[in-house]
Amino acid sequence: MRLESGGHIREVRLSADSATLDTASHVVRGGADGASAEFLEVDGVRHRVRAARRADRVFVWCDGDVWEFSAARKESAAAGEHAKDLRAPMPGRVRKVHASEGESVVKGQLLLVLEAMKMEHAIRAPRDAAVRRLTHREGDLVEMGEVLVELSEPPSGS
Amino acid sequence: MIRRLLIANRGEIAVRVGRTAREMGIEDVAVYSEADAGAYHVGQMADAVSLGPGTPRETYLSVPRLMEAARRAKADAVHPGYGFLSENAGFARAVEEAGLVWVGPSAEAIEEMGDKVRSRARMRAAGVPVVPGSDPHAVSDADLVAEAGRIGFPVLVKAAAGGGGKGMSRVDRTEDLPEALAEARRLAASAFGDEKVYLEKLLERPHHVEFQIFGDRAGHLIHLFERECSVQRRHQKIVEETPSPALEAALRSRMAEAAVEAGRAVGYVGAGTVELLLDEKRNFYFLEMNTRLQVEHPITEVTLGIDLVRAQLEVAAGRTLPDHWARLTPRGHAIELRLYAEDPVTQLPRSGEILDYVEPGGPGVRVDAGVTRGSRVSLEFDPLLAKLIVSAPDRKAAIERAHRALGEWVVLGVETNRAMLAAVLRSPEFLSGRYATDLVSRLPAGESPEPPPAAWIAAARAFGGPGSAVRSAGPAGGGPGNVRDPWGEASGWRTGA
Repeated sequence: MRLESGGHIREVRLSADSATLDTASHVVRGGADGASAEFLEVDGVRHRVRAARRADRVFVWCDGDVWEFSAARKESAAAGEHAKDLRAPMPGRVRKVHASEGESVVKGQLLLVLEAMKMEHAIRAPRDAAVRRLTHREGDLVEMGEVLVELSEPPSGS
Repeated sequence: MIRRLLIANRGEIAVRVGRTAREMGIEDVAVYSEADAGAYHVGQMADAVSLGPGTPRETYLSVPRLMEAARRAKADAVHPGYGFLSENAGFARAVEEAGLVWVGPSAEAIEEMGDKVRSRARMRAAGVPVVPGSDPHAVSDADLVAEAGRIGFPVLVKAAAGGGGKGMSRVDRTEDLPEALAEARRLAASAFGDEKVYLEKLLERPHHVEFQIFGDRAGHLIHLFERECSVQRRHQKIVEETPSPALEAALRSRMAEAAVEAGRAVGYVGAGTVELLLDEKRNFYFLEMNTRLQVEHPITEVTLGIDLVRAQLEVAAGRTLPDHWARLTPRGHAIELRLYAEDPVTQLPRSGEILDYVEPGGPGVRVDAGVTRGSRVSLEFDPLLAKLIVSAPDRKAAIERAHRALGEWVVLGVETNRAMLAAVLRSPEFLSGRYATDLVSRLPAGESPEPPPAAWIAAARAFGGPGSAVRSAGPAGGGPGNVRDPWGEASGWRTGA
């Protein structure tokens, strides 16, 4: 299955005693240890792991860090830095537009400020790109998921 | 004597106050809105009364509903916690007029400190330095533009009735001011019911240091040292520590003196916090005073070995502060990490259900939590889930302990700011102790690191691959979320409806 976590996508194949991540294969042993945490042995190294699933999302605690996974969609608009369309994370009002159409922007650059739930929220460039289209003006109300900024195509090969 | 205490709050602070009450032989009574009937705090107390149906405004923020709950609960005292109505003079007055004990300062002190414009004037008169700001009489756009010119840009536009960073914005140029004022008035009116705004000089890279003060009715007023609160994002604290690595003894005692002076100016009784800004030239200024318990109060408790809630309840019942409190000295170092339910990238509040929860433990670790496994996290309420408080003999050991305990903490099912907390603990600036309020903005930008192979494999197993031993989604197990299973088949997945 194809999984996505924080913009990273991996094809994961499981069998009884091994796993393949994209092309890399790993020897896997593991099961519940009867106490609090489960363990998972990957290539002979033991990891403490807990996982919880709700519908299409899985949360994993692994050796002290937490990761969230979802099944990767084929055309992943939500795939972080590969995104072409930057969408409103929640309904709100466009408070300030800091970019202009045609402008070349660098990763992390502030493009637009959205005000939502009495808070200001910065929309930043997820990668170096050109601003192809700005769909809203300052003061416009936007719905959640509406496209705010259209960027140039990401470099291919990802 | 207090016998039955209504805790007019929810979440971790309600649970925390209840714990001390029970230790003192006081019956603790929770309140809850109907939607919140299954919330963690409700099950933790001796008793619980409903505030009825409705939004937070109609329940936890409704003085009549809370007073009715206090009557039905046969409570003889009310503890407001923090947030909600804790700094509402009308609620304090209603409690006292009903003949109940209000566990907090007088309604007058709340009013005096609640209006930021008035409290600034009051502090200036008492000889406490305040951040340069606009004249209290400057209200119109024209007046405020003139005042901004006098103070010098950049300025902060702030709500007079404000707090928690709400309705606050930075303005760098005269021509941007009218728009910022209009916006701030609108936000202030909706958040606080008062559109009054004022200007403050924006200090670049200040430290945010606060002092715990405590007064009793016999006229004692002492300070209980400081808390360094400079690790903030959007003017919201996320990591606090004590002692502050920014202060040396002489500066600490001058700031402490100013904090006590601020409390004395309003005859303060109970627990209060004086927030001060420290600029790069080591000048400090009064920012505001919070007339309630702070979220971060536990770091003071663990370094001084005291219980601030116990003292609140005793002082409210008319007792004096313990004599030795005037001679307390802090031992070791303490750090608090606030865990929020929020999107790690956008930092916007998230909702969900806590599917798995394991608290850290061991030496020097305290967790004040408002959730447990199975708890629902709603966007209606403050997204603070829980606080991790660690203490150790010195700062370095406290940071190591914070790392260790944060790693042990399993909170699955809703996204949190956990990675940001870990990033703060790892950052060279935090480790050096030389950081200011811009620390979070200087953290390496949100490159999400790739999960290790073990996490990918565990995730794939949880999605239903071979060897799957999935922790069920919540205590009820087969909730609606578990029924649909688009990724279960070996033939691959299809998109959910």
